[in-house]
Amino acid sequence: MRLRRSATAIAAAGFLTLAVAACGSSSSGGSSGSSATVKLPLKAGENAASESITGGKQGGTLQVLSSEGFQHLDPGSSYFAIDYGAVYVTQRPLFVFMPNSQTELSPDLAKEIPTASNGGITNGGKTVTIHIQPNVKYAPPVNRTVTSQDVAYAIERMADPNVGNGYWTSYFANAIVGAAKAKGGPISGIQTPNPTTLVIHLTGTVANTVIQALSLPGSAPVPKSVVAPLDKHAPTNFGVTQLTATGPYMIQGEDKANSIASGYTAGKSLTLVRNPNWSASTYTGPYKPPAYLNQINISIGGDPSVIGPQVLKGKNMVEYDTPTHATVQEAYQRYPSQITFTTGAGDHYMTLNNSKPPFNNVNIRRAVYANLNRDAIIKEKGGVLTGEPGTHFVYPGTAGFDQAGGYPGPNYPWNAHTSGDLAVAKQYMKKAGYPSGKYTGNGTVTVVASNNGQDELAINQIVKQDLTQLGFKVNLAQVDQSVMYTKCQNPKQEVDACPDGGWLRDFNDPFSILYPTLSSAAITPTVTNNFGLVKNATLDSMMQKAHTEVDPTKAAQLWGQADRYAVNQAVSVPEDFDNQPNAFASNVKWVGDLWNEGSVNFAYTSLK
Amino acid sequence: MAAFVIRRILWGIVTLVAVIFVTFLLFRIFPGADPVTLLAGKGATPERERFIRQELGLNHSWIVQFWLYLKGIVLHGNLGFSFFTERPVLGEITAALPATVSLTVGAAVLWFVIGIPVGILSAIRRGSIWDRAAMTVSLTFVSMPVFWFALILIYLFAKSLGLVSFLPGPGSYVGLTADPVHWFTSLILPWLVLALTQAAIYSRLLRGSLLDAMGEDYIRTARAKGLRERTVIMKHGVRSAITPVLTVFGIDLGGLLGGAVITEKIFSIHGVGLLNITAIGNSDFPVIQGTTVLAAAFVVIANIVVDILYAYVDPRVRVQ
Repeated sequence: MRLRRSATAIAAAGFLTLAVAACGSSSSGGSSGSSATVKLPLKAGENAASESITGGKQGGTLQVLSSEGFQHLDPGSSYFAIDYGAVYVTQRPLFVFMPNSQTELSPDLAKEIPTASNGGITNGGKTVTIHIQPNVKYAPPVNRTVTSQDVAYAIERMADPNVGNGYWTSYFANAIVGAAKAKGGPISGIQTPNPTTLVIHLTGTVANTVIQALSLPGSAPVPKSVVAPLDKHAPTNFGVTQLTATGPYMIQGEDKANSIASGYTAGKSLTLVRNPNWSASTYTGPYKPPAYLNQINISIGGDPSVIGPQVLKGKNMVEYDTPTHATVQEAYQRYPSQITFTTGAGDHYMTLNNSKPPFNNVNIRRAVYANLNRDAIIKEKGGVLTGEPGTHFVYPGTAGFDQAGGYPGPNYPWNAHTSGDLAVAKQYMKKAGYPSGKYTGNGTVTVVASNNGQDELAINQIVKQDLTQLGFKVNLAQVDQSVMYTKCQNPKQEVDACPDGGWLRDFNDPFSILYPTLSSAAITPTVTNNFGLVKNATLDSMMQKAHTEVDPTKAAQLWGQADRYAVNQAVSVPEDFDNQPNAFASNVKWVGDLWNEGSVNFAYTSLK
Repeated sequence: MAAFVIRRILWGIVTLVAVIFVTFLLFRIFPGADPVTLLAGKGATPERERFIRQELGLNHSWIVQFWLYLKGIVLHGNLGFSFFTERPVLGEITAALPATVSLTVGAAVLWFVIGIPVGILSAIRRGSIWDRAAMTVSLTFVSMPVFWFALILIYLFAKSLGLVSFLPGPGSYVGLTADPVHWFTSLILPWLVLALTQAAIYSRLLRGSLLDAMGEDYIRTARAKGLRERTVIMKHGVRSAITPVLTVFGIDLGGLLGGAVITEKIFSIHGVGLLNITAIGNSDFPVIQGTTVLAAAFVVIANIVVDILYAYVDPRVRVQ
């Protein structure tokens, strides 16, 4: 899971509960959800799914305002929604998702998507062969042609502790032959028979997941002669002092003296200019970046409460952060064509500790699930435009979402009423052995929650109230979000419940949503993303079966079943499916990456 | 006088070490979140966590950690590396400092130029319309939250956002050496935000202090000697009344040099304050720790300077 963008305004933004909530939740609105579908009460132009990726005008300079800075520009380390905007236009990973789709994978540096029919997936799904474009060149001063050895080296260096890649372990370490103990050196399962061919040998039939994972920035080629000396430094200096572009843009100054110093000042600004060695003819898939803009100036810093109005009233500008509630409200009311809402931008849920009383009892978990007022939580977050009630764990825009029940979700009594149902909850408390319908056991339930913002504080109170209604004595610890995550991640802390934990998938594979958060394999002694310490053999088996299914349609079906079973066991309580707003100036022809929270795509966005 | 200065400097060093110790305890020993988990990210292997723990020196006892940290600061000026950008903290602070100095020193000049004359005039014309008007206005400025006042000025005067838009707004700041004219104009609004609220405090403080001083016997003696009223006020009254103002000035200037957080954030001025607030948002403990130590150093240094000035203005201090 990559880091998502945040919006923390120093100036108190007025709390917003969009009046349009009265138009009704869309949770009963069908079960499509395979993309950013029109399910919200949006005005013209607001639905990101309707964006056109063609017909832009060449030229101009885009001003990008962001309160948050970049974390890593090195494609090997980059794992942050903000980073991705700059990394995907300066680098060329093997594959990439189309900006106007959450599910359509396209070749980027690769010539085609490997499949069994084109000979790209062989050996029963255990070998992947990838052919790369022959005439892609590095930006100056490297200038030479990219080879498959560069891609192999890029993948191998993800295992280097100095690079510190955040998803190597999740998708590659156990999937590629010989990668489990790699530390940045050659991996026996990665071979390059010629300069344009890469062969990856897998430990199991997990080709589909690995191919999708190769759409992450880490598969972008890097020249070993430049990078290896920089990787000796802990942490690596690649992306800090030097960078080598292959995409349509590069950092200003990287062509001179091999330094990015003139175009990038950490925490301050980033200037992207055209890469003179880039050629639009080196693409063979639907992804053909038009690169309309001459230059992109990204200013970092400032307060979101000021940035929002600046962008809405300004020219040539986009807001890179999540707009504040006040900006969303102003845009919705006064500038409806200057804001988009992208569905499928992650989800939030409350984890329950499945490993110890009281929540090791499935009926108690179902009772808590039934009584949580998810509608009230949505309201606190800003209303129906910014989220919809969560009804399961695979969220909209991901394979398996429809198969798990779409927006209404699996049909269980505890999942039926998103505004909470105390009567149903009491029934399950009785089944759990509490005849009064209220918990009468000993002890206190420890809830660790974030105190970042008024909406979080309000959500915490909703959770506390709903638990108290069921008879639990609640010890609510409200702490900084980073503290919350480190406490909930540590099994030794024995936290009973963590509300409003967020998850953002890495690509269109339910594996990247369900497996890290609900599998017993994800539990380690000191840190885990399986906050609820879910150890359910049936669920593990269902996920493993789905993960190793080669046929994508069947895999989606199997993931849907696993998701339904997770709801059946009430392993956690879904709160909401997130929608992500993005704001821009009136003369910007906006194209956002629907697979990346709708963040601006600099290669497709243009000025009117 | 020399002994007094040396004594103050030594106490300043002791204070600074104590501050470093407390911030070290807060951010290294009792951090709310485990720095290793924060730096390693969610998908980290135990091996990577061990590597980071070793890199940060967290495998040592806390006393050794403090000694190494202190030694790093004193001998090498090493404040560690940012968790978020992985750059040296000292470099980040050094890069941010000129903007903060520009903002703070300019604002300090402005609030002194406004606050001191207004305070003197209000005191010597006590009860007049001028006094009442000046104190009402200053009370208004004192009562305004900085972020709110900043937003009001932006929505009134900033280009592209203001009703009467003619001054550069948020994000327009450039360094002095890059473009002196633009540097000056881009700082007018931030200077006004800081200076008007501070000037109000100083005028009220000096007015009260001067009113007290003007009632003292030595003022009556000075008048009895036939000195001009202007000389009585400026040489005897203000000189005595200004000492508490100087003390507050030292604390304010030192504190602001450590980062005018809200003003820098709202105007997107990349100073120490913005660096600090960004680091807080990222749970970037080394940067928070570094900026805290820097702010403490500025307060300590400013207080030493003020104490020396105080001794110069008031000889009784030297004797004590």
